[in-house]
Amino acid sequence: MAGPKLSLKFVMPSDPRYLPVVRGAIGPLAAAIGWGESDCLAITLALDEALANIIRHAYHSRADGLIELECSESADGLEVALLDKGEAPDRTKICARAVACDQPGGLGTHIIKDVMDTVSYQATPAGNRFVATKRLRKTI
Amino acid sequence: MKISIRDAGAAKVVEIEGDVDLGTSPDLRRTLFENLLLAPKLALNLAAIRYIDSSGIATLIEVLKDSQRRNKEFVLFGLSPAVQQVFRLTHVIRIFQVFQTEEEALGSA
Repeated sequence: MAGPKLSLKFVMPSDPRYLPVVRGAIGPLAAAIGWGESDCLAITLALDEALANIIRHAYHSRADGLIELECSESADGLEVALLDKGEAPDRTKICARAVACDQPGGLGTHIIKDVMDTVSYQATPAGNRFVATKRLRKTI
Repeated sequence: MKISIRDAGAAKVVEIEGDVDLGTSPDLRRTLFENLLLAPKLALNLAAIRYIDSSGIATLIEVLKDSQRRNKEFVLFGLSPAVQQVFRLTHVIRIFQVFQTEEEALGSA
């Protein structure tokens, strides 16, 4: 029978000052699950990009919103769930930027998609829910 | 994030230390745009960057495009492993002039 799994929960204001706090926890969590240094950085970056997108686009850079974050060790890797009550994401703009072009915007969603194995955006009664998973065996 | 600027011949060298993210990239953006106006060449040392996100990369792209409009040079050198990985994930490294050392970066200044 499998033992208890590690889970981290944060409720953070939509203020970029708190992003380093979350980054400081995610890398060690990924390392504890079993990823190497490069993957830990990539996972941290993907989650940081998802949080930054919520701050910029859901809350329009207002610092008074709330973001609920839960990172859980799963049977085969990591699951990350974010919940916010800001404006719902425009699905037509997610990964709309061409890869490797020289435009400055839209890089974050490509990073998330490249790093994580599954990514979903849902509008729920509780707010906008972002869920991403990564299997331990995948290498990037 | 700490930023310092110094003159190197006709060029200006900007050094960054720490994390470049959504909270700190506006300061980097302002510094780079201001100093681009003051010299024909701007060289950015990325060796002491611990972390950079897509807003930091977007800032570098904006400055590069502005330098091209102004017929100036914007070059990068000393990419830390963290910076190299984010460049790899964002697939934009090819648009920049990247050098290993400051001497190489300033070679044509």
